[in-house]
Amino acid sequence: MKHRTFSVLFGNEQEPPHTARRDFLKQSSLLTALALAPSSVVQAAETVFGGRASSAAEPIPVVIEINGTSRSLSVEPRVTLLDLLREQLDMTGTKKGCDYGQCGACTVHVDGQRVLACLSLAVMMQGRQVTTIEGLAENPEQLHPMQEAFIRHDGFQCGYCTPGQIMSAVGCIREGHADSAAEIREYMSGNLCRCGAYSNIIAAIEEVKKGGAKV
Amino acid sequence: MINFQYVRPTTQQASVAALTGNPTAQFIAGGTNLIDLMKRGVTAPETVVDINALPLRSIDRQGNGIRIGALALNSAVADHPLIRRQQPLLTQALNAGASAQIRNMATMGGNMLQRTRCHYFYDTALPCNKREPGSGCGALAGFNRIHAIFGTNDRDPKQACIAVHPSDMCVALVALDATVLVTGPTGERRIPFIDFHRLPGNTPERDTNLERGELILALDIPDNGFARHVHYLKVRDRNSYAFALVSVAAALDLSNGTIRNARLAMGGVAHKPWRLLDAEKALIGKPATETTFRQAADLAMQGAKAYEHNAFKLRMSPGAIVEALKTAARPA
Amino acid sequence: MEESAVKTGQIGDPLNRVDGRLKVTGGARYAAEYNLPGITFGVLTTSTITKGRIRAIDTKAAEKAPGVLAVVTHKNSPKVPGYEAGTDNAQSRVHGQEFRVFYDDRIYYNNQPVALVIADTLERATYAASLVSVTYNEDKHQTNIKTQTEKAFKPERPEDYARGEADAYKTAPVRIEREYHTPIHVHNPMEPHAATAVWEADDKVIIYNKAQGVKLAQKDIMKSFDLKEENVRVHSPFVGGAFGSSSRIWPQEMAAILGAKKVGRPVKVVLKRDQVFNMVGYRPRSIQKVGLGATADGKLIGVTHEAMGLTSTYEQFTERIVHPTKSLYRSPNLNAVYKLVPLDLSTPCWTRGPGESSGSFALESAMDELAYALNMDPLALRLKNFADKDPENDKPWSSNYLRACYERGAERFGWSKRNPKPRSMRSGDMLVGMGMSAGIYKAERTTASARAKLRSDGLLVVQSAAADVGPGTYTIMTQIAADTMGLDVSKVRFELGDSSFPQAPPQYGSHTTASVGSAVHDVCVALKQRLQELAVNKQGSALYQASADDLVFADNAIRLKGRSNGLSYTEILKLNNLPELEVTKESKSGPEKEKFSTKSFCATFIEVHVHPVTGMVQVRRVVSAVDAGRIMNLKTARSQILSSTIWGIGMALMEEGVIDHRFGRYMNKDLAEYHVPVCADTPDMDVILIDKPDPIVSPTGAKGIGEIGMVGFAAAVANAVFHATGKRIRELPITPDKLV
Repeated sequence: MKHRTFSVLFGNEQEPPHTARRDFLKQSSLLTALALAPSSVVQAAETVFGGRASSAAEPIPVVIEINGTSRSLSVEPRVTLLDLLREQLDMTGTKKGCDYGQCGACTVHVDGQRVLACLSLAVMMQGRQVTTIEGLAENPEQLHPMQEAFIRHDGFQCGYCTPGQIMSAVGCIREGHADSAAEIREYMSGNLCRCGAYSNIIAAIEEVKKGGAKV
Repeated sequence: MINFQYVRPTTQQASVAALTGNPTAQFIAGGTNLIDLMKRGVTAPETVVDINALPLRSIDRQGNGIRIGALALNSAVADHPLIRRQQPLLTQALNAGASAQIRNMATMGGNMLQRTRCHYFYDTALPCNKREPGSGCGALAGFNRIHAIFGTNDRDPKQACIAVHPSDMCVALVALDATVLVTGPTGERRIPFIDFHRLPGNTPERDTNLERGELILALDIPDNGFARHVHYLKVRDRNSYAFALVSVAAALDLSNGTIRNARLAMGGVAHKPWRLLDAEKALIGKPATETTFRQAADLAMQGAKAYEHNAFKLRMSPGAIVEALKTAARPA
Repeated sequence: MEESAVKTGQIGDPLNRVDGRLKVTGGARYAAEYNLPGITFGVLTTSTITKGRIRAIDTKAAEKAPGVLAVVTHKNSPKVPGYEAGTDNAQSRVHGQEFRVFYDDRIYYNNQPVALVIADTLERATYAASLVSVTYNEDKHQTNIKTQTEKAFKPERPEDYARGEADAYKTAPVRIEREYHTPIHVHNPMEPHAATAVWEADDKVIIYNKAQGVKLAQKDIMKSFDLKEENVRVHSPFVGGAFGSSSRIWPQEMAAILGAKKVGRPVKVVLKRDQVFNMVGYRPRSIQKVGLGATADGKLIGVTHEAMGLTSTYEQFTERIVHPTKSLYRSPNLNAVYKLVPLDLSTPCWTRGPGESSGSFALESAMDELAYALNMDPLALRLKNFADKDPENDKPWSSNYLRACYERGAERFGWSKRNPKPRSMRSGDMLVGMGMSAGIYKAERTTASARAKLRSDGLLVVQSAAADVGPGTYTIMTQIAADTMGLDVSKVRFELGDSSFPQAPPQYGSHTTASVGSAVHDVCVALKQRLQELAVNKQGSALYQASADDLVFADNAIRLKGRSNGLSYTEILKLNNLPELEVTKESKSGPEKEKFSTKSFCATFIEVHVHPVTGMVQVRRVVSAVDAGRIMNLKTARSQILSSTIWGIGMALMEEGVIDHRFGRYMNKDLAEYHVPVCADTPDMDVILIDKPDPIVSPTGAKGIGEIGMVGFAAAVANAVFHATGKRIRELPITPDKLV
């Protein structure tokens, strides 16, 4: 692979969507130029783009694997993974609770780790694997053991924090932080549940953990 | 959020260049604080420089200590066998901070650079000398329950700042005598952790002594005798996922009940992680008893000053110091 | 064909939630999740001052920003006929003039919406909203109730009450007089409030919102826009928590409707978390004085409860803050006074256990203080003053198992092991405290309707314009229908959250199960009657001319008693050549209910551990014993009490909306700084459901369970903290700073 001092997020591996091609070229050539003579060219870049609003308003291509499907998308840099999922892809299972990383409702897995979609820029997901609640179960007909346990233990009421709780619960077990109720309490504290279903959530996680099913 | 240009350099030099060439450019690593601040309009970089392509994630033995890459995740560091075994104070402090998800995103460098949680800093409709130099300090005569009792600037209204540094991790790092390795336009340099963060002084807008364009590469933690007797005590408004009202990092090196060496630092009390050097000196050579701990705590509180809503910190802090030392001194 | 055996799903069974699968897979769609064709995004710009007038509002930069379709302000907003007419105080639920969105240049509270920026993407709308520039003529504001108490007035809808002599407690041998404070609480449901509006025609609008009452929302919108009932449709099948905050039409609905009118496309408006703090109500701060006087052996002689709450300058929000005091204990003399203090804040709104939660904190803390003054066990004091009938009106209780709550709760908790002396119990380094309280909450039933449609495929679809904000209404109504009809639960689908369905009351005040449950029960009884008529009157039917006394409804069929032959419901339809059978029924309580006092009750027992140095309090153990009538679903009912426990812990230990009164702005307007309990705050919980039917409140025997568990809870924690530490905290929340 050709080494570049600056590589735009999407690199050269993926052919960007046709409509975004022109913008892509414009930006990538500029960024290559940036690398050569940083300070002066940044100034020039602002002139070329007519100030920051226009320089950055162009959507740029990004390829993300979402629930096992590779998606070629075009997003503005300021779009979060959460808003990409909910507003552009109509994948509304991932919830927006606070939008500031303070409630856990938007928890998804990126490369297998539980993280917050509201604090993740979509452009930074290039080449990464994102799993949302819609893709947690192995196939659409089945439920994941954690989903089943949440139903059995009534681990939710209004249901709004639930996808985030479930994604987080799976992460909690995978990370090895579900060995006791006390540990679950602590390692699940990043997921607020205003309905207060915590004790049922703890019971659901304990059961899945003890059951030994692969999560 | 205002739009911005996004770049992802693959070398340190290019990363540094991207920042020095553009006065509003900012690095992004985990993004857990920067994106939050951008959403609320507290900061609006024209260019966001994603440094995640840099190979700065390793956690290894290096010389007489451990080197932790700036991009190592908080969760990875907390759970790393080397850290758990040799620097358990850091593991405890890391796990006391934020949530599991945020620790899976947040990096060491980013944690060090997180901004204060002062309400006035976060609300762009209110005055804040840190966010907008010269606009005034909303907290000084306002709701200052979470604010500092040490090292504040409460004199000049145009420069006053009584905000606190919010990190737990940094309280442990300052206690552990870490060193920060940075690179920048003029090359690499090492900053002792205790000098990394600043008191507000006349420039409350500056949280740290990093120069424009400098990039944190790694942290070095020297070997010490603090693998057994440590405790990170965090007092907060709920049992998890809340910033500290007051926190204490305590580390003791004990020999037959006598304190050979000691480290003590506090969080939630100052604009920087607050190392208690005088209190440490008072501990060394003394028996590890509550009386000794109390003397150290009294010493630690010298010069503390409270405001309308945070006087409780004057009562809570010495108790917390004693409690943390007592817990640390217990047989491992 | 014989149907398979009936699944667990009779009334009372712990059936899993019927909407569970949708909720755990992310398939349930909430208010902000209707991505309609042509959708646009509206973002509110809000005021940065608390009181005054808009001098100028410059929207040019926003309008020019990429993707922006329109900026709506008071200068160009479409007219709202209902705003011109003003509020009809004979009809309104809150006295005063409702807040009018984009109506004029006046600012009544900080963070008030002043503009809606509509763009083609959320990011563009959000950015452009920051470009709207507003200048103000600012007036002096007041947001601090503590400095404004001299402005307190008696509301137009008073709550004052007296029996016997006023202030009789002052002459009692043993007396206490204390002042208690509760702070602003913000509902903060996990789902931020949202609304999407679409004008289908000039006089026809559809709203997708977050509503506790779709009919209520429909009525408000009809009135505001002068529209016919059939031309306003409100959809709210899933609500991500509400707790009272979705019981009115708020700025997000109005802004979406006005914006959609402006741009001729669907507009979605989602509140940012900080906007949830003051656009959708909150529990008002209270200042309360309680005086209790008793004989030396603990018999109450006099009770005085003076409460003050805050409201806005444009509406008088009242809540039931003195209600528990009126009815919970037998006292010959009692006087309760309730006043409001108008402040430059938005109007408060009902918040879980509205009034009762705050009022019972004062009452039940005071009872504990009196117990210590009497040197008497707090539980014994309550038993001593147990009210055999409702002392407020001398009516008999429709049912009252409070004694059972006390007894079973105390036994399960181990109350007898408590050493009453403060600071006397320890566990390791921790101070241990045990406290208890009693709770009382109205059990009501209002008129509700339901439609039942039996389809030829055997599915029974039951519809009512109810809501399920989390308690499990979908599930419970399914059970009631299945049980009443003798149907397998898999053959029943209950639908709610659509204003085109038959009338149902909003989901607040813990009366959905009693009201809508009765309608579902009654409509199913009516449907059975129709099926029976069809079965016995049809020649050739296996049940032709059978006597009603010989028939049983079970296993999806009508059968002759003791015989296996009969007709399935679908066979009855087929026999009568009916594609489906539909019945609608209105249901209301009869006049006999007026002869009784109808309430739910609870007793709460709490163990706290308090760190003697840091002042951190952990609620370790909770036993809640609850008399909520007959339990419809053991699983969801238990969850309601667990939920109240978490809310009670939040109220007791951490929740407080803090305002910097110099600016009139919230300081902690996000979920990092407004603390609600997290998983690590979860205690061991034991729920005792007395589960005795109340035949007066509803035919199913249900009373109500959504709020009762929270009434008195915060006092039980405060009482336990006193027992642990010897410190009596009379101003919530009990944060560590108050204990060091």
